[in-house]
Amino acid sequence: MSDVLVIKMEDVHKSYYLANGEEIKVLRGIDLEIKRGEFVALMGESGGGKTTLLNIIGCLHPLTSGKYLLEGENVGNVRDDYTLAFIRNKKMGFVFQQFNLFSRLNALSNVALPSVYAGLKKDEREKRALELLNTLDISDRKNHKPTELSGGQQQRVAIARSLMNNPEILLADEPTGALDSKNGLEVMEIFRNLAKQNKTIIMVTHTAEVAKFADRIIYMRDGKILDHNYTLKSDY
Amino acid sequence: MYFEIFKMAFEALISSKIRSFLSILGIIIGVSTVIVVVGIGSGAKKQIEDQYKNLSATQIMVMQMMGRGAITTSKLEAGDADVIRQKVEHVSDSTAFVSGNTSVSYGKESSSFSLFGITDNFFDITNLDLATGRVLTPEDEDTRAKVAIVGSGLVDTLFGEDMDSEKVIGQTLALSGKKIEIIGVLKQNGGSAMGRMSYDDALYMPYSTAQKTILGGNSQMMIVVLMENVDYVKTGMEEITSALRIEHKLKISQEDDFRMFDPGSMVGAAQESANTMSLLLISIATIVLIVSGVGIMNVMFVTVAERTKEIGIAKAIGAKQENILSQFLFESIILSIGGGLIGVLVGQIIIPILNRFEGWYVVPSFMGVILSFTFSAFVGLFFGFYPAFKASRLDPVDALRSE
Repeated sequence: MSDVLVIKMEDVHKSYYLANGEEIKVLRGIDLEIKRGEFVALMGESGGGKTTLLNIIGCLHPLTSGKYLLEGENVGNVRDDYTLAFIRNKKMGFVFQQFNLFSRLNALSNVALPSVYAGLKKDEREKRALELLNTLDISDRKNHKPTELSGGQQQRVAIARSLMNNPEILLADEPTGALDSKNGLEVMEIFRNLAKQNKTIIMVTHTAEVAKFADRIIYMRDGKILDHNYTLKSDY
Repeated sequence: MYFEIFKMAFEALISSKIRSFLSILGIIIGVSTVIVVVGIGSGAKKQIEDQYKNLSATQIMVMQMMGRGAITTSKLEAGDADVIRQKVEHVSDSTAFVSGNTSVSYGKESSSFSLFGITDNFFDITNLDLATGRVLTPEDEDTRAKVAIVGSGLVDTLFGEDMDSEKVIGQTLALSGKKIEIIGVLKQNGGSAMGRMSYDDALYMPYSTAQKTILGGNSQMMIVVLMENVDYVKTGMEEITSALRIEHKLKISQEDDFRMFDPGSMVGAAQESANTMSLLLISIATIVLIVSGVGIMNVMFVTVAERTKEIGIAKAIGAKQENILSQFLFESIILSIGGGLIGVLVGQIIIPILNRFEGWYVVPSFMGVILSFTFSAFVGLFFGFYPAFKASRLDPVDALRSE
């Protein structure tokens, strides 16, 4: 972990509007600082705004108000598809609870997909994807379709995909939610290793067992951060 | 990058084969219809062209009036051709001939043919060419020579199709008990000037020989007039009418004892009706293609709805709007072009089958292939755009949430 701030948020608000015009405030003034190489867990009650905050960090959502500085640059007001797509492609890697692999593509092609959008050549792409599958110990499954892989294997493929374009930040939404505890622990080990390699990891979870792998736990409730460095109540 | 996206689009289509096939069925039917229809259109045109190949647009045919109201005392005569040439302006040439049917035999073979009694400029005016032998001379006319030039159809019928036309020269035919020597053979002409009368199934003799010796009273007198150019045909017909009325000494109360028509206008009318028919059929096929485009649009909307989650994932891992747009656009274009190709193939298979039926004449046309293929690709592009555009503008978070 370094002292460089990768993510800084000032008074970030996010509201949804229902069809009748009613405003639903999901985030109500978030101030947040995350350093490079930090492994942060977002915890809190359901509906507390964890996933919304993660999506905002991932530039999948625009803000309603406030500032979001990504590596010092205010990206909270960016609406341009090219810039947003570039950030999601090169700066972020997403890992989802349900893996979200493309069912028609095999493991290798799934991993390589982000660099298709980045415009990388086929041989370079496949070389890099194979390296990642090797690192994550599933290169023997490279030609398998997602339906032919176990949950743990699928999540490894998904993590490999998130690393494809060598992003600075990994965003994970309940990455162990669909896994048994053994596979869940393995995924956490992978994340710990990535944090050691100076990747910034932000992970939404509601499980203390998973959260304890993080350097820091941020606790949210009702769209606000209650605790920037939450301590788990008991030993896990 | 677009190659990869194209590949993904293709694989997506392959993964749902039945749906892809059903959605292009309309295109297949539409394209093959256009191809067959354009083929029917050009077949009809070709038939008309063949039929009227030797008709010049500058021709006017003058015939004797027959049947009701005919005046037997005054007839069209050979001299009328000269009258027309002298009195009517802008006439480049005219010739009179008699025609009738006669039985011709050679050895044991016998058949009925048209007999034309002609003068020496007949072949120039009617655009008929000699394959071998010699033309008729004024001497033949004066001596009422028993000689004939024969059409290729007559040679085929009486001498057999493998007969060398050179060897026909000098052979003797029997017409109404008279021996006639063949002095020339015409090149194959293919069509006919006036309905059932064929220049191929005919023989040509000196005017006097045909008129006096063979046909006698059973002949019909005709005059072909060639105008200097197409624009004079209409005024030419009016002038011929008045010149002949004066020549035949007709009173105002008497009707014409001759009739005439310009074959050129028949060609025009026939072509026009063939064009109208083609246009009508093409419009119907076009409607089929448009409807099939709506079908493709429908399928694309369903596809986009089904793959909403994929679109969300793709956006989350960095797909630009244009990447999503092009993927779905590729899919609809592959569908429509694929349908177009199959349609072209089906069309090419149908055409020869149709041609086996009596009375069908369909000419495969390159134009039809190009037309229908381009149109189907355009249909895919046009009707695929809106669903693809909608897909590209989906909110990534909403898309990810959908199941």
